[in-house]
Amino acid sequence: MKDYAGVVLAAPVSFGYARQSPRGANWFIGCTLAEMLRQAGLAKDDVDGLAVSSFSLGADSAITLTQHFQMSPRWIDQLPYGGAAGLVALRRAARAVQAGDAEIVACIGGDGAAHRAFEGTAANFSNFTIDASFPYGAGGPNTAFALITRHYMERFGATREDFARVALDQRYNANHYPPALLGHKTLSLEQYLGARPIAGPLHLFDCVMPCAGGEGFLMMSEDRARHLGLPYCHILAAGELHNAHRDDPVQFRGGWTEYADALYQAAALGPEDIDLLQTYDDYPVISMLQMEDLGFCAKGEGPAFVRDTDLRFDGSGQQARKLPHNTSGGQLSVGQAGSAAGYMGIVESIRQLTGRAPHNPVSGARHAMVSGFGMINYDRGLCSAAAILGSAQQ
Amino acid sequence: MSKRQTMRQRLKLNRPSRRRLARPPRQRTPVGMDFTAANLPVALSLQHCSACGAAQYPPREVCGDCLCPTLVWREAETGGTLLAGVDLHHSLWEFFKRRIAQAPWPVASVRLDCGVTVFAHLALHTFSALPAKDAASLPADTRVAVFSHSDASRNAVLIAVSADTPIAERGQRRAIAQQLELTSPAEKPEGI
Repeated sequence: MKDYAGVVLAAPVSFGYARQSPRGANWFIGCTLAEMLRQAGLAKDDVDGLAVSSFSLGADSAITLTQHFQMSPRWIDQLPYGGAAGLVALRRAARAVQAGDAEIVACIGGDGAAHRAFEGTAANFSNFTIDASFPYGAGGPNTAFALITRHYMERFGATREDFARVALDQRYNANHYPPALLGHKTLSLEQYLGARPIAGPLHLFDCVMPCAGGEGFLMMSEDRARHLGLPYCHILAAGELHNAHRDDPVQFRGGWTEYADALYQAAALGPEDIDLLQTYDDYPVISMLQMEDLGFCAKGEGPAFVRDTDLRFDGSGQQARKLPHNTSGGQLSVGQAGSAAGYMGIVESIRQLTGRAPHNPVSGARHAMVSGFGMINYDRGLCSAAAILGSAQQ
Repeated sequence: MSKRQTMRQRLKLNRPSRRRLARPPRQRTPVGMDFTAANLPVALSLQHCSACGAAQYPPREVCGDCLCPTLVWREAETGGTLLAGVDLHHSLWEFFKRRIAQAPWPVASVRLDCGVTVFAHLALHTFSALPAKDAASLPADTRVAVFSHSDASRNAVLIAVSADTPIAERGQRRAIAQQLELTSPAEKPEGI
């Protein structure tokens, strides 16, 4: 596979997180774009590529946004891939810039959170959802993940205390990331274990809070970024595989198992060289699957791994092994802004690798692994994607 | 009817303040409606591929194995193995919210012997050996039977029972569905 040389990521923006908002997805996407342009010192017409992900555009789409925003891109894409949307956008946009199809691509995920909008998204998510999962309790993806979590706990002996390791350290990270919607609250093990039950083994702090917000970054050539004087980071490797292991009766692994080795090989790195890990954490068990499948530990050893690993951004935990994980607090503590959640890990990684995370810096971060997982069509998540990003100072 | 209109109607039906009686989600896709129609006369009917014979679920347009465009509804064996069962304590839908206010709502994923995975309402009262009547005490790999029955929205939904439960007669199946309170709307007694 061709490498990603010559293209870089810049202008990371997280915009407007709110628990509920009367504004639509267009507003969050437009404001995220404006903030990216302001940060990069670019005019609207300098952006000639647009990649957009959103669940709540309604009748609108990426192409209708071009008229709304009065842009004339010569490259456009819409990526409805939920938690993997950002990484898929990254891969597509990088190739477009490499091929010369576009010079600067704005990649944006954004969603509104109108009153009772989440219920509408859950009820109309897909045909399989409408016919075969929503009528059975109507909890959104909670049911599917409760079944996956229960299976994982029985098969690998994971306990709620293990899942708490992920949630608690992320909350600590969120306490140092001002935009996090739950960052003003601390979370103790007692609070975690005593939370109200939601579905089977899942309790309140295992579930993300749906919210509004936007996340975005710019993809451009390294020369252009240098010319603009923008801090940037590189893509060392990236991969995706969807609906992998489709014969597993219950999901306990994702497509990462099939290309994790190739990623490390392409980046000439190993899991031990990764300075920070951003997993898609819609539920803690999914973060554990990603740690296992991306080679940080063997299959089934996720619970032991998180017990023995300090997942805080500053390494202030007791464990000897350090792996800063979801350094902004992840969706569990920041909130899940629809499709923006699929861009969150990339945007946070760019901030970390370019030294633009003043409140929650990972010191000396050079290599970040970002992973995405998404689209619970029926009984499992279909998308998997991952990328290794590297700082410009190698 | 456009998706937008369906959505508006659906939200109206789920609006708690407007209705004394709440019902399970009514919306289905066209093949989902076919599932209800095909399941009216039998305990369980699934789509089968007319070329390779593979059973299909959830309902779909083409065979998931060989992409054959012709799927036929045929009676299917009800036997299966429990993958996982959970109690739901939260729902987005008013019918289930009212039911959950009384007791957690048990659901399960089941691997049917014909090779498909189904979600089903779990009839815990049919598992006589169960120490506690919650889904968490039901171990994986328990043998179960899955049949369909109309819910209070007149759609066919699947119900999982213990493997030794008699379900050959329509009346037996109806009794189980009624005991789950699936066939009656959830009433808000104090009114609106």
